[in-house]
Amino acid sequence: MATLTDSRTSGGYQFPGKKSKGEIIVDWITTTDHKKIGYLYLITSFIYFLIGGVMALVIRAQLTLPGLDIVQTKEQYNQLFTMHGTIMLLMFATPLFAGFANVLMPVQIGAPDVAFPRLNAIAFWFFFFGSLVAVSGFFTPQGAASFGWFAYAPLSNTTFSPGIGGDLWVFGLALSGFGTIMGGVNFITTILTMRAPGMTMFRMPIFTWNTLVTSILVIMAFPPLAAALFALGADRRFGAHIFDPVNGGPMLWQHLFWFFGHPEVYIIALPFFGIVSEIFPVFSRKPVFGYKTLIFATIAIAALSMTVWAHHMYVTGSVLLPFFAFTTMLIAVPTGVKIFNWIGTMWRGSITFETPMLYSLGFLTTFIFGGLTGVILASPPLTFHLSDSYFVVAHFHYVVFGTVVFAMFAGFFFWWPKFTGKMLDERLGKIQFWLLFFGFHITFLIQHWLGVIGMPRRYATYLPEDGFTWMNTVSSAGSILLALSMIPFLWNLYVTARRAPTVTLDDPWGYGRSLEWATSSPFPRHNFHSIPRIRSESPAFDLHHPEHASAEAKAAASEDRK
Amino acid sequence: MKANVSMWFIMTAFFALITGVYAVWWFLTYGGWEPIGTSALAMLTFMSIFLTFYLWKTDRTQGVVPEDRLDANIEDGESELGFFAPWSWWPFFVGAASALAFASLAVGWWLTFIAVPLALIGVVGFVFEHHRGSFAH
Repeated sequence: MATLTDSRTSGGYQFPGKKSKGEIIVDWITTTDHKKIGYLYLITSFIYFLIGGVMALVIRAQLTLPGLDIVQTKEQYNQLFTMHGTIMLLMFATPLFAGFANVLMPVQIGAPDVAFPRLNAIAFWFFFFGSLVAVSGFFTPQGAASFGWFAYAPLSNTTFSPGIGGDLWVFGLALSGFGTIMGGVNFITTILTMRAPGMTMFRMPIFTWNTLVTSILVIMAFPPLAAALFALGADRRFGAHIFDPVNGGPMLWQHLFWFFGHPEVYIIALPFFGIVSEIFPVFSRKPVFGYKTLIFATIAIAALSMTVWAHHMYVTGSVLLPFFAFTTMLIAVPTGVKIFNWIGTMWRGSITFETPMLYSLGFLTTFIFGGLTGVILASPPLTFHLSDSYFVVAHFHYVVFGTVVFAMFAGFFFWWPKFTGKMLDERLGKIQFWLLFFGFHITFLIQHWLGVIGMPRRYATYLPEDGFTWMNTVSSAGSILLALSMIPFLWNLYVTARRAPTVTLDDPWGYGRSLEWATSSPFPRHNFHSIPRIRSESPAFDLHHPEHASAEAKAAASEDRK
Repeated sequence: MKANVSMWFIMTAFFALITGVYAVWWFLTYGGWEPIGTSALAMLTFMSIFLTFYLWKTDRTQGVVPEDRLDANIEDGESELGFFAPWSWWPFFVGAASALAFASLAVGWWLTFIAVPLALIGVVGFVFEHHRGSFAH
């Protein structure tokens, strides 16, 4: 059997000597290596996460007590929550998916690169520059876009939201959306055509499957957004009347936007489900429970997610309530199947609580809360009371923060040795986890009750008589804790880069299953010096633990000995 | 490839069914037809039909490939996977020029006249970067 464990010395293309700073910069901006592009995505999106987080802190500071004037004008407050939403959804979570998928998916299927390396680079630069254009509104006299990240018509037209900030937002997002579509096409092609021999569709790791399904959602959902944004741009800049209320424009915009917006939620959720599906088996020392069910559940979620968009529009009074309530509640079924599978994977396993596992469990608990309030919101009579209140804010932060942020840190800690060749510090990671976990839940759990007693979202302040004060103070206190949890992480990155020893093993966690654990850490330039034979969905595990390998792998090995 | 064909076939059938259910349900509830959601779902169905057909056709012409065989070994694959650009300046250039062109729609026409030629140069450079003349590969 072809195995190489001592491959570090012969790794990839080596530049002669130490590179100058200019060479390093040129190397990064001209790169077509899927891993480097992936790291560019991860770094950029993490920076946007920090920027969006600071905006959230200002929002929370403004709401700590009634009648505060932390932001000078209410318009600035509107800009803050608009750009907080835009940044977190489209400049943090979506490119974070592209980052993880770029680095890991080709390795997991045993490919040397993605199918279109230069298209991959263009996708990144479209996202990078498009996002710069969208946020550059902050540097214009009237400030950034302030119509909320859903940009509802007619609020988003030039009568109600004049200023170049809104125009930059529209066209910047259109460009970055094209980047996302190109990335999606690239991932689909790579997965369909560049798998290693023996890596059949039903032997691919769950993360790769979820990347495929997510990319399919991208090519379904992002074109309507691009169309809607260009139409809005035509309205704003060229005097078109596409979203004019006279023509029923508000409903047209809401339909188009949510036809993108709801699948978008799954675009940012599914890859992170994939990350935890990789982590649970490794730290439970068991194969994933119900591999095919997990995949079918993912496909079912994706298909259903295209049919539920108007549950964001219940209160317009002109959507088909029973249809959308039914499909929305139906999504809870495959989601429940997934949660069942994750718990089944851990069931009677020898679980250890390393940081990636801790974060995955944090994901699971947080996400279940968000899922439950989702079922509540799927019911129209309840939504009529709760719509546009802090209950909704709490719900989607549980869903989105629970999946994206918890699973992001899980993925960072899990794959850091593969990215850099060094393990992040476990102690700092655990301190960070508990700060983040309590910070998050203190901030957002209380917001459910705030919403129930009637605090509307997107209001810049409230009155003492409203009775919202103590809950808002608790929430803001929690957000400080949440913000503090980033300090151990950044410190962790620094000390790891400076002091941590280099990992010499292919699989430092010991029980890695998919192909990335069968190559050296960090990856060589074209990922593999040799690929082990693929006989199950865990080729690296079969290679490193032949005595516990899958039946097909054992059969193939005994075939060899004859 | 068979797995992909069946996945897309099922998705196509599902979307077609949902389009019908949505249109009819709306008709029975409110009368008339709801133009936006129905056309969005119908176009989704059409896109799925295209993809299903393409994958089905590819599967038919291509036959069984090593990556779909349960007993394939790594050495059964093509040794030459194709050409991979080692590095390229053009993606960065196209990205930057396109961003200028998109921003110019918000900023003003004067910028469009600068940005669009730059973007065109970028696209031409990108397309012909590794071109060695027709049929020369």
